[in-house]
Amino acid sequence: MRNDPSPVCALEPGQLAAMRAQALPRRKLTQPALIFLGLLRLYVLVAVPIVCYAFVHALMTPQ
Amino acid sequence: MTYGAPDMPMSLPAATEAAVTREDVLRARDRWKVRESRSRGRWLRLLWLLAGPGVLVMLGENDGPSMISYATTGATYGIGFFVPFILLTFVLAFIVQEMTVRLGAVTQRGHAELIFQRFGPFWGYFAMADLVFGNILTLITEFIAIQAGGLYFGVPSWLSVTMGGILVFASLTLRRYWTWERAVMALTAFNLLFVPAALFAHPSGAALAHALVSWGPLPGGVTAGFVTLILSNIGATVTPWMIFFQQSAVVDKGLTKADIAEGRWDTALGTILAAIAAIATVAATAPLFAHHVDVSKLNDGADFATALRPLLGTTGATLFALGIIEAGLVAAMTISTSSAYAFCETFHERHSLNLSFSQGRWFYGVTIFSCLFAGGIVLIPGTPLVALTLTVNVIATLLMAPALVFLLLLINDREIMGDAANGWWSNLAGGATVGAISLVGVFYGVITAIPGLLGK
Repeated sequence: MRNDPSPVCALEPGQLAAMRAQALPRRKLTQPALIFLGLLRLYVLVAVPIVCYAFVHALMTPQ
Repeated sequence: MTYGAPDMPMSLPAATEAAVTREDVLRARDRWKVRESRSRGRWLRLLWLLAGPGVLVMLGENDGPSMISYATTGATYGIGFFVPFILLTFVLAFIVQEMTVRLGAVTQRGHAELIFQRFGPFWGYFAMADLVFGNILTLITEFIAIQAGGLYFGVPSWLSVTMGGILVFASLTLRRYWTWERAVMALTAFNLLFVPAALFAHPSGAALAHALVSWGPLPGGVTAGFVTLILSNIGATVTPWMIFFQQSAVVDKGLTKADIAEGRWDTALGTILAAIAAIATVAATAPLFAHHVDVSKLNDGADFATALRPLLGTTGATLFALGIIEAGLVAAMTISTSSAYAFCETFHERHSLNLSFSQGRWFYGVTIFSCLFAGGIVLIPGTPLVALTLTVNVIATLLMAPALVFLLLLINDREIMGDAANGWWSNLAGGATVGAISLVGVFYGVITAIPGLLGK
């Protein structure tokens, strides 16, 4: 009875795997959200080199 | 019926046309029990059925590095300021994790796929890559914890790491979310081994009460080391993988909007248990502070257990070492699963612990590969494990800010959240928490990456 559909009515439609596979529409971003995401891109640009530096620095440090 | 946004593409006819999968059937069986308990008003059973993601995420975050962070805190400052401070960090963790319960229950989407679908591929791939990269490094530290705990008992590294890997793989063979969740929950009970370990230290109830009321004492005052411990304790309680894991687990378990209250109770229960274990760890290692033991020489769980043996006795130290092994093992299970959820959600592969191996080959493949990779790294002779642990902290804290920003943006997205979106008060609490954690995370990342910035 692996795929017996009868108990599936306990699920809400959106819980079915087939429904969850459907993508939600892209969000229309407001001006503040766009600014937020722009700042986040800047942050990522700064954070990634720091992460790389920390990793290399840690590898070079004698145990 | 509606949940989430009424205009989302979730029409019933389309669903009924779709093929019913094994994953749907297994989840539906769990939902029948929930429906039955709710209709009969059996609230305790309902809570038992719906508990899981919150307990797993909170006790999972009491992982190897976190327990070492709490142990270092107890050994450096004893019972004092950090007892109420650690409690506060768990309150912050609850505020963050509660939002993931609502997001998962209402949208039926994991965190990675929501970011991908709502903000586009750039942020989708970025969020997934930063999570998986950080998770793999964190996973290495979990296997270091398993190895260190094993070394205390004289178990060779290769054997303890292999046994840890086998247990993670064994949990996946269950191929059933419910069974996997209950098995890992049973394991998390061993996180409370730190409580009896603390009792062997005979902590003073009066000192604990005084610390809770007065937020003191704080021996040595505010120093660079104190600031680092503050930040590391925050980093030990709130991390990116927790957000991704709990939201995906809520969806995989099948929680709906009607279950949000129980989801909150589950998260609160996990928060309380994890806070008890964390404070117990501080209390267990407080005798090291009282005996002026040099903490800088204690790097891992085995070092702490060995140093505690003369003070707690063999049983107390053994409980501590077992607790460290459990911390690494449970985190290895939850963190590798969180990577698999995020990877498959981003690349549109099927993702559920209810999948068979053939249906979920990518899901199980990512989990197994990440564990094999992490365990393998730990076993390579000469690997700079301490350096890796340090880097993990930096990466986790630096990458926390983007994860929290997306959490706030998503929870305020009324198109998908409907009336379950954050209200004014929730935004004030959530926004303040996210802002504070992001700032201290960035600060911690920078001072760890650039040592000496704060002086000695």
